[in-house]
Amino acid sequence: MNKLTSFIQEQRQNKPLLMMTHVVYGYPSIEKSLEIMQLMLESGVEVLEVQFPFSDPVADGPTITTACHHALEHQPKLSQCLKDIKQLAQRYPQSRVLLMSYLNPLLQPGFESLAQQMGDDVIGIIIPDLPIDHHAMLAPLPEKGISPVWLLTPDMQQERIKTVLKHAQGMLYCVSRSGVTGQQAPIHDDTKAQDIQSYLSTIKKYTSLPLAVGFGINTASDISSLKGYADVAIVGSALLNTFNKGGLDAVAEKLQELQP
Amino acid sequence: MNDEGRFGQYGGSFIPEILYSSQQQLLKAYREAMADTSFVQQVKSEMQHFSGRPTPLTYCANLTQKIGGAQIYLKREDLNHSGAHKMNNVIGQGLLAKRMGKTRVIAETGAGQHGVASALVAARLGLECVVYMGAHDIERQYPNVFWMKQLGATVVPVSTGAATLKDALDEALRDWSSSYEDTHYLIGTSCGCAPYPEMVAGFQSVIGEEVKEQSIQQFGKHPDRIYACVGGGSNACGIFLPFVDTQTELVGVEAGGRSNDPGEHAMRFNTDQARFGIAQGFATRFLQDDEGQLQPTHSISAGLDYVGVSPILADLEEQGKVRMTSANDIEVIEAFKLLTRNEGIIPALESSHAVAGGLKEAATMSPDEHLVINISGRGDKDIFNIAKALNDEPFTEFLHSYLKEGAAQ
Repeated sequence: MNKLTSFIQEQRQNKPLLMMTHVVYGYPSIEKSLEIMQLMLESGVEVLEVQFPFSDPVADGPTITTACHHALEHQPKLSQCLKDIKQLAQRYPQSRVLLMSYLNPLLQPGFESLAQQMGDDVIGIIIPDLPIDHHAMLAPLPEKGISPVWLLTPDMQQERIKTVLKHAQGMLYCVSRSGVTGQQAPIHDDTKAQDIQSYLSTIKKYTSLPLAVGFGINTASDISSLKGYADVAIVGSALLNTFNKGGLDAVAEKLQELQP
Repeated sequence: MNDEGRFGQYGGSFIPEILYSSQQQLLKAYREAMADTSFVQQVKSEMQHFSGRPTPLTYCANLTQKIGGAQIYLKREDLNHSGAHKMNNVIGQGLLAKRMGKTRVIAETGAGQHGVASALVAARLGLECVVYMGAHDIERQYPNVFWMKQLGATVVPVSTGAATLKDALDEALRDWSSSYEDTHYLIGTSCGCAPYPEMVAGFQSVIGEEVKEQSIQQFGKHPDRIYACVGGGSNACGIFLPFVDTQTELVGVEAGGRSNDPGEHAMRFNTDQARFGIAQGFATRFLQDDEGQLQPTHSISAGLDYVGVSPILADLEEQGKVRMTSANDIEVIEAFKLLTRNEGIIPALESSHAVAGGLKEAATMSPDEHLVINISGRGDKDIFNIAKALNDEPFTEFLHSYLKEGAAQ
């Protein structure tokens, strides 16, 4: 079975919901971003999503966009980012690390070289501006056991869902609502929470892959409402905002508060 | 172009999944509309009665004599309503948005001409209009911002990144990803995901179609060469495409800026700092560093400093069907002065790049050759930048005294 899928399924036997957190490599500095990652892994998050910054992150909201632009001032290199996060993955074998970035920075080394550089340690990749229609571009990754994680959205037509599922492996990234990262999730409103639960139930009918839900997950109650419907809750901008306000201590506290 | 909106290795649709159904809806609506003769007729009628088409092809006797080479003609897109070729595209897309039942349009703008054109057409069609504009561009092009506001549009300053067109485009894409149900994203240049390059170039092709007829009428053959400035590439696509498979040589003029150093120009062809990339929804040549980060650009003209270029032009250049040259800021100001003083036509700084490119080469051509330069827009909007570049002290004094008077009231 796929490495990411089997890891999530194993962990799910002990927990109703896993947590995936997000960090921008190089924000506020390369060293500090590695400290944030370490803190998250020590706090027990099951999956860490490391974003390699891009100058034009069109699927991201203001918090992550600003972090990306600041991170780029330190001129981060993708090859160094991969070395750093591979090392982290080896130090924290109880968790899994995924790489997230936009297509253009990843095209520079090419996917053959990227697969080599990711090796056995970074086991998944998320590319929000790569539609499923271009899945063939990523062929060298699954050949090395690295899962491209595809996105599903609430207004997706059945045919499109089927196309994604045909190529999906690892897990599915279910976007909670339209828009970019960091806006409030619709979960706060009861009716909307029911909508998202019904959207997740529909997807469950078509696949046995684990479902991860992201975009605007901010609070313990957001997370709680996903129990029984999703396998992984994804928290990104909320933790970055917390860091911006209160540093590492505040992030540690927030992680405690959000524990499913 | 194939069904996926690819032009050779360029173009395509690389958008977040959340925009997929909206992009498909637009693709279908555009294809259906263009197959509907009543829609095509409606677009033509608006271009004639609202924008004032056809625009003339003007012979420049004085410049021709002064330069002493080819016969110089100008295609006068500056005479469109709003003073630029941008009107051709917004009429088409505005009517399409209405046909699709959208109630709101969003646009991004560099020099502001597309923003003004979008605001004009939105006012005429009763659509809400929001325009994203780089904070830096707002400073450079405030007169256009003023007019957008008067037309009822909301202008949203974008301060992220370099605060120019590329950042405004990112912000518009973000808006579209949460508003697509009632909103049409009215892209102003032939860039972006499919079908935008094809659609914008299609609506702009009226420029070249008119030149084809007018050149036969006025000098009995097609032009030997056509020059157009190339930022995103909509005016160049518009005048070039109808001539692609003819004997006419097509020359694009990029923004050479202050120097060839990274960040000091906006050349996607005449430099080794640009190469194939995929960003902002499509594949093209982007100015980028070794890590694939898109780079800041500079041009004296806010409308030409886009980091990418139309995939249609990237493909045509690769096929050898379009030649790309460049003009730097100093050459552009000189060309502006030459045209203004010899022919009584005030070109936009964007168009002055095409004038610079054309006049430079006209001298090497023979008097029985004919060249056409596309004057994509008029220069009124550039009054502040031109006065600054020309170091016009009385104008600066006038501004100081005008502001002082305002503050005293």
